[in-house]
Amino acid sequence: MKTHRFLTLSLITGGFALIAGCNRTEPTSAASVAGATAGKPTVALVVKTLNNPFFLDMQKGAEEAARRFGVNLVVQAADREIDVERQMQIIENLIERKVAALCITPSGSREIVPVIVKANQVGIPVVIVDTRADEKALVAAGGKIATFIGSDNYDGGKLAGAFVAEKLGGKGHLAVLEGIPGHETGDARLRGFREAVAKFPGLKIVVSQPANWERDQGFNVFQNMLQSNPTVTALFACNDLMALGAIEAIASAGKAGKIVVVGFDAQPEARAAITKGTMSATVAQFASRMGSTAVENAVKLLAGEKIADFTPVAIELIK
Amino acid sequence: MKPREFLAHSGRQFGTLVGLFALCAVLWALTPHFLTVSNLLNVAQQTSINAVIAVGLTFVIISGGIDLSVGSLVAFSGVVTASLLQRAVPVPLALLAGLVTGLACGLVNGLLITYGRLPPFIATLGLMSVARGGALLYTDGRPVSGFDEEFRWLATGEVLRVPVPVVIMIVVYVIAHFVLRRTPFGRYLFAIGGNEEAALLSGVRVRLHKTVVYGVCGLLSALAAVMLTARLNSAQPIAGINYELDAIAATVIGGTSLLGGQGSVVGTLIGALIMGVLRNGLNLLGVSSFIQQVVIGAVIILAVLLDTAFKRPKR
Repeated sequence: MKTHRFLTLSLITGGFALIAGCNRTEPTSAASVAGATAGKPTVALVVKTLNNPFFLDMQKGAEEAARRFGVNLVVQAADREIDVERQMQIIENLIERKVAALCITPSGSREIVPVIVKANQVGIPVVIVDTRADEKALVAAGGKIATFIGSDNYDGGKLAGAFVAEKLGGKGHLAVLEGIPGHETGDARLRGFREAVAKFPGLKIVVSQPANWERDQGFNVFQNMLQSNPTVTALFACNDLMALGAIEAIASAGKAGKIVVVGFDAQPEARAAITKGTMSATVAQFASRMGSTAVENAVKLLAGEKIADFTPVAIELIK
Repeated sequence: MKPREFLAHSGRQFGTLVGLFALCAVLWALTPHFLTVSNLLNVAQQTSINAVIAVGLTFVIISGGIDLSVGSLVAFSGVVTASLLQRAVPVPLALLAGLVTGLACGLVNGLLITYGRLPPFIATLGLMSVARGGALLYTDGRPVSGFDEEFRWLATGEVLRVPVPVVIMIVVYVIAHFVLRRTPFGRYLFAIGGNEEAALLSGVRVRLHKTVVYGVCGLLSALAAVMLTARLNSAQPIAGINYELDAIAATVIGGTSLLGGQGSVVGTLIGALIMGVLRNGLNLLGVSSFIQQVVIGAVIILAVLLDTAFKRPKR
């Protein structure tokens, strides 16, 4: 009996070794193991999740820059965008692996702070990308980041608001799909949008609810919104995934083309929807440029060069 | 029969332990960063939260039940503790309030199952949603964050150079092992899980003990919530999603039978460590996040397959 057990267990571990080993030699994988290409410094990019096209674009940009500058790149993420604890574990493990620099898109603006402090303690520079770390929490904990690279989400929200106002002629009922409450990114987009809309007394936000950045929730929440607020003529969704979900809800309610839908991120699918006419506009953020700028800055840091505290990445409205 | 059962148990644990060591050996061979004191403490710390939840779940599963609400209880007790801390309530009181919240929710589970005669799956599924909604309502969906050093000591402090979360985990396991093996309550759990009817006929107060075991599970979830809140310096109403699955995985890898009546907390600790070591190792090796999910799922399936294969000849 026991030998049977031994056998199965060695199978488990053997299988694990095999998978790890396979991945090691996989040429397309960004995650090359240190030692396989010894001598080059390893830069880690930890994003929120890799099942969102936005972060895949960021990964692509980072990979391109890593090739250009001749560094190893490791890209890791939690399974789910909201899993702040798992993201923390991943970063702790990368610190143990002694990566040379960390580029992070925080899953939680405040929850990321303790692990930034840990990286500081062992002298690994931290580059924050796309979503800011909470300034106050960072100062309170004595943490330090090398730089922030991202778009001004507040400006993006304003662009979206101005577009909606223009499109509706300054009059109408608006709906908003928010991201996860307490996220810097979503909050800034919302602030910008609200501010732009507030300039028009004829515009009224009649309903505003979180759909947690997700497509299926965007569908469900907006379907419910349409039930309770049939007068809505425009929707601002804080990201494209929620907007794309909402478009399906609009179609199934038989209101296709009657509601102005504005998203955020300019993902390929959203661009296609704009061409098709089901979506009106989206705010373009250049995720791949964020990824490449992050790696570029990390490389500069490692070479001892000075870098700016904030590198803005352009933002524009696509309609 | 008893000595045979004992052998079966220790054999199962021994097997899991060998699995853990083999895993460590493989990682040691593949990466120089694995077998260092700081990384092992790192793994222990990362495992501690899941391990504490898994103890409660092991108790419940041994008694023949299941608790799906643990993740939501982590969120709910976490935000209760956190909001009290922010209102400058003394740390011990805030901790106590959080723990009582978890205990109370657990007891509600227990009462619904015993006196309400609901299947454990349904009762705890209901509470999973109620507690999650409660946490969201209570905080308006926003995280509650920023605490004093006194509270954060629970995550950042050290006792004899061992991180506090690891110390908490060890204390919990020592107590749980003692309770399960040396107290009437522990023995009754095995009896109830093995054959509830027989336990009832031999005079075991089945309802009482079943209610209490869900209370204990809720209490341990709340303890994990406190540890998580201190670790992140923030309590999120959306924290702990899917934690029940991680805890169930640790429990079954550790050889506790989902059918009840069999299991051990030592096995669960090893199970939790296997999951922690796996995740850590895959990160150290830079394995893609997608492959990591496949590997972890495969390990769970293999561990239980092995368990079933081991038990079959007895029947």
